[in-house]
Amino acid sequence: MTQQTASILAWFGQFGIDEAVIRQILEAATRDGVDDADLYFEHSISTAVGLSDGAVNRAHTSIDLGVGVRVVVGDQVGYAYTEDLSRTSMLRAARTAASVARSGGAPTPIATPYSAGSDHYPVHRYWSDVDLSERVPLVRAWESAAFARSDEIIRVQASFGDTDKRVLIARADGSVSGDYRPMTQAHVSCTAERAGQRETGSYNVAGREDLSYYDAARQQRLVENAVDRALRSLEAGKPPAGEMPVVLAAGSSGILLHEAIGHGMEADFNRKGISIYANQMGKRIAPDEVTIVDDATLPGARGSLNVDDEGSKTERTVLVEQGTLRSYLHDRISARHYGVAPTGSGRRESFRHPVLPRMRSTYMDAGPHDPQAIIASVERGLYCETFANGSVQIGAGDFAFYVRHGYLIENGKLTRPVKDVNLIGSGPKVLESIEMVGNDLEIDEGGWTCGKEGQGVPVSQGMPTVKVRNLSVGGGR
Amino acid sequence: MSELIDFAASAVTRALALGAEEAQARASQGSHVQITRRGGRVEQATEATTRGLVLSVLAGGRFTSNSTSDLRPEALDAFIRRCVEAASYIEPDPERALPAPEECGRGVSQAALDQDDPAWRERTAAERNTQAEALEQAMASHADESTISSSVWVADGRQSVARVMSNGFADQNEGAWFVAGADTTLRDGEKRPESGASYAARHLSDLPDVQTIAREADQRARERVGAAPIESGSYPLVLANRAAGRILGILAGPLSGASLHQRRSCLAERVDTRIASPVLTLIDDPTIPRGLASQPWDGDGRIAQRRTIIDSGVLQQYYVGTYHSRKLGMPATSTGRSNWVVPPGERSWQDVATAWPRAIYVTSFLGGNSNAASGDFSFGIRGRLVENGVLTSSLGEMNVSGNLLELLERLVAVGDDPWTWSSVVSPTLLFDGVSFSGT
Repeated sequence: MTQQTASILAWFGQFGIDEAVIRQILEAATRDGVDDADLYFEHSISTAVGLSDGAVNRAHTSIDLGVGVRVVVGDQVGYAYTEDLSRTSMLRAARTAASVARSGGAPTPIATPYSAGSDHYPVHRYWSDVDLSERVPLVRAWESAAFARSDEIIRVQASFGDTDKRVLIARADGSVSGDYRPMTQAHVSCTAERAGQRETGSYNVAGREDLSYYDAARQQRLVENAVDRALRSLEAGKPPAGEMPVVLAAGSSGILLHEAIGHGMEADFNRKGISIYANQMGKRIAPDEVTIVDDATLPGARGSLNVDDEGSKTERTVLVEQGTLRSYLHDRISARHYGVAPTGSGRRESFRHPVLPRMRSTYMDAGPHDPQAIIASVERGLYCETFANGSVQIGAGDFAFYVRHGYLIENGKLTRPVKDVNLIGSGPKVLESIEMVGNDLEIDEGGWTCGKEGQGVPVSQGMPTVKVRNLSVGGGR
Repeated sequence: MSELIDFAASAVTRALALGAEEAQARASQGSHVQITRRGGRVEQATEATTRGLVLSVLAGGRFTSNSTSDLRPEALDAFIRRCVEAASYIEPDPERALPAPEECGRGVSQAALDQDDPAWRERTAAERNTQAEALEQAMASHADESTISSSVWVADGRQSVARVMSNGFADQNEGAWFVAGADTTLRDGEKRPESGASYAARHLSDLPDVQTIAREADQRARERVGAAPIESGSYPLVLANRAAGRILGILAGPLSGASLHQRRSCLAERVDTRIASPVLTLIDDPTIPRGLASQPWDGDGRIAQRRTIIDSGVLQQYYVGTYHSRKLGMPATSTGRSNWVVPPGERSWQDVATAWPRAIYVTSFLGGNSNAASGDFSFGIRGRLVENGVLTSSLGEMNVSGNLLELLERLVAVGDDPWTWSSVVSPTLLFDGVSFSGT
């Protein structure tokens, strides 16, 4: 047991959880003979403060506590959870989860390396030890700075949130892993007005970090980007509609990878044969310049995990290596199906949700090109800079992402600002048509959340500047 | 008084004793079950009983809202203490207040809302399994060599919610829900298009039979085969009834008190003016018996009532709760939307669309978003080409874009086919001259 696990186990002692109780619940869950079972204990304390109309006048606190019990037989999953950590309630959840296992089957646990104790998000101070009064001045300063940056800003909203989350995962084979997972997020949103026209702009930063995350430079970016986006929207129009070359700016353009290939590489979809990337392993799907990674180990990243939500060690998983498909994202069920080691991608929104293979921080490795040369290579196209959301059809491969801000490219130069356009394309076609990869990889600092089967999990994404030959742009007439 | 109300009331009493001048508590407990089947077997079964408490307090004129699922007595007391203490660190908000007691209550009885189907308590695990197996068999009857995989799900649950406020309001509401659905993935060259159908109802007997669900799920997937874009341009839009909620839903942002207050609403200062074609009427009705979004009170505990939002194209009112009513100096209406109803027309959409040589029938969306301040929107779409009222080729990889207010002006007709399986009960909507991007 690592020191981290020991301290998390001790933490859950306040709720009556110890190794004897864990053993008893697991015995109830596995009594009928199962392939796998785990308990996922979770305790989180969250705080948020919000500002509007010049006052930090909202505070939210929340506490979440519970346990999820999962029993696996083959690829059948029984799941139950409870917010009540009494022995009676947990035993009932264990028996419920086990009810799918009644058909029998011998336990065949697969060997998994457990958390080696490396910490991708060490903190010097828990959020619970930060007084609310330390958060308030920060938020107020962001508002003042936003108003100071432009006379055209008429409304500012700002918020600051943080969570201390502790999870304890106990497996049928007797292993126990614990993880302390901090999270913080700050958001500034502005309304700008010019000649009767109003537009909004916002920016947010997020990470598994402590209060020291908010250095002067980050706070400045938070405010200035929110203000500048609102002002730029006042001047922005719609691009023409139709197919055109697209240049994706470094940073949050990683949303394209998330939608165009990331979800399709989640192994549950492939195991069921319903992903467009099913049976494509080892095949070439993109040019040599393209290497795509899903990484749980980026220091302090929102998507990072020391251990996944079923107790597997996490890693940097290469999905596409120099254009060739290399690995799916596995949880333990799919790893057993494919006869490979889990990639530490088993995640869940909370103890209320069963585990699914999910992304963590998805990005493309840097390529050889100068970003300016990439823009200069486009005669007429769209430069996409900031994004709101995206979506994908796993089997058809069609994906879409919504561009909040961008520019037209005319004769190799950024010209008119554009806003609010949806882009749509086919994942495999777009990967094939990546023409240039920049040397400027940037991991976006924004607070992205990925949704799948009704579960939201924190993720990160990143991208160097990339040129795509053709995407369908939802422009105006 | 029920145990749940007593529990919420004790939290309010404790908050007041610790120094809050006002408090409100929402206590909930519920159970739900979901079964998913694939390949002739249960893929996943989830069952849970849940509970939680949300407590808002006003202490020294300062507002905090808080939630917890740790309801052990000693933990609860520490939680309430923390809610009240947190207030001392922030600044006062003079507009925070509970509504006047006479504004609170229920406009419609639990019995009249008819959300709490007694069939839920009688439902057995065996019945649930039988329904799921029958649905899976019905899906299998549609399978052919192009079918890769199908899955089906049945789920149901029941939730009790108690609300207690220090202004004297105390009430409880119960509701059950039932869901059944199926999806399927088909082979289409290199592509594996998928689609399905899912239905939700407050009463088990209101769900369609398994043959209907399976037939529709299979048909919707088959309609995706061969999907391709057509050339960009301006086309009439035939917005399928079940997809209308996504476009109408754009209205919810700019109609909200929060957007008005943040001056980011394209509908600001538009009450009593025309914002849509006279063909459009939009009603908010929380009182519909068995309605999926029916509710006895709004988010502030204010009596829920039927409201006309748009009357023959003219905007009637916004969604303004107590807080934003005081911020904006407007009368309070409701904190947010419940069921939305667009009254149907008399002609079928096929009849109306006969006049158009080429129109685009949109059955679902992929991604996309909208801007509440400007009304601009852009969504990915899937659907079919409609030629002289007849559905022809399958469309995909296209976007529909424009401005909400311009789009609503272009509504030329509403169909006669309201979709009742959603909280947005709309018929198919027909618009002329809408911008689509494709090739």
